[in-house]
Amino acid sequence: MITAGLAPRVVAVEPGLAALGITVTLAGRRVLEAAALAVPPGAVTALLAPSGAGKSTLLRACVRLVEHEAGTITLDGTDVGDLDARTLRRRVGLVAQTPAMLPGSVADNLRHGVEDLGEDGLRDALAAADLDPSFAAREARRLSGGERARVALARALTRAPQVLLLDEPTAALDADSAARIGATLRGLAGRGLGICVATHDLEFAAAWSDREARLA
Amino acid sequence: MSESLLRVIAGVGFAGLAAGLAYWLRLGLSREILVAAARAVVQLAVVGAAIALVFEVEALAFVFVAVMAATAGLTAGQRLGALPNARVRALAAIALPALGATAVLLAVGAFDATPRAAVPTAGILIGGAMAATTLAGRQLLAALADETGEVEARLCLGDDARTALAPAVRRALRTGLIPAIDQTRSVGLVTLPGTFVGLVLGGASAEEAAATQLVVLLALLAVELAAAALLAELVQRAVIAPGERVRAVAVE
Repeated sequence: MITAGLAPRVVAVEPGLAALGITVTLAGRRVLEAAALAVPPGAVTALLAPSGAGKSTLLRACVRLVEHEAGTITLDGTDVGDLDARTLRRRVGLVAQTPAMLPGSVADNLRHGVEDLGEDGLRDALAAADLDPSFAAREARRLSGGERARVALARALTRAPQVLLLDEPTAALDADSAARIGATLRGLAGRGLGICVATHDLEFAAAWSDREARLA
Repeated sequence: MSESLLRVIAGVGFAGLAAGLAYWLRLGLSREILVAAARAVVQLAVVGAAIALVFEVEALAFVFVAVMAATAGLTAGQRLGALPNARVRALAAIALPALGATAVLLAVGAFDATPRAAVPTAGILIGGAMAATTLAGRQLLAALADETGEVEARLCLGDDARTALAPAVRRALRTGLIPAIDQTRSVGLVTLPGTFVGLVLGGASAEEAAATQLVVLLALLAVELAAAALLAELVQRAVIAPGERVRAVAVE
């Protein structure tokens, strides 16, 4: 029943993550101006821009690690500012360019914040990031750059995010490893995740993304 | 020649020796050592005169302690330049526990409620709090600048800002407390602390001096931990922003 005088307002809800007109100033310097990005579910979006154009800042703004002074960022139509920050960061995973490993084993890292993650979940997350189950016992801070990148991906997946943002995920990887990560991301997109890969690697973007967004 | 003057001359002689040694070792510290020694001479002369006045006019004790606390806040604040309102925050972190503990020691009768006992006690506690605040604060600010990646990783994994900062805060507090713990652990074995030496030189019995020193040392443990913890709290309040964000800190 619709109450008289309160006609329902039809709002076009854009599924996935959408950022429009994002402007960010850090330490008095404008690092992003009127940037836009759409990360729809079920696709790999490549965010292309030269170094220093603000790709990392845009991704960090999407999970509210930095505050934007203009523009809107929505998740399934809801302004991310209206979402609890911790909930937002579970729904939108961010894998940094040089991911920091927490103290302890790889398993400890994957279980951080999801202590009830079982052995199957642990194994599935490692497999999704192209890691052997034996990695679970490895000391996380002793891993190589490429291994850290894959563990960070697995760690983000243990939160079952609906959107995954990756900042230069292939920067520390050789061509074969990068291809395996690309295939993994395509597989995750096939399961409905919205994926955004910020990269300056045009070859990787052409091979593994479904759509492109560019920062000026 | 008076005994006091002889002591000053002996002290100045050792400062000259340090400056000469620094020059011979090419440390570039000779001038700094001489300036520090000259400052110490002037400052202690002024303080000696001021203390004598405080002993005569008791109300001035409050002013004297306030000046000590303010100076400690300014000194620690200068070392914490990356922190907004660093001097005010440092003053609060130093003064609250140091003066609180002094008040407790006087209230329970551990020391006479006279300027002669209260001023040096407050001074020692303020000095300890200043050292702990500076050490812990610098360690925490350096961690915030250097470990942004780890803090943000924790935030991205669903930690709230305080939880994400907790490891860095714990490390900073441990760093701030190490000198106090070492000083307490080694007292009598490695060093004879100032209170003990002063009392013995002043004619007190060794037993009386040891008991007084013990009270001060143990109070310092609590005061320094409280000061470091209070500063860490004030740093967290300065850097945690709405939306479980942690503001960037630039350490010089």
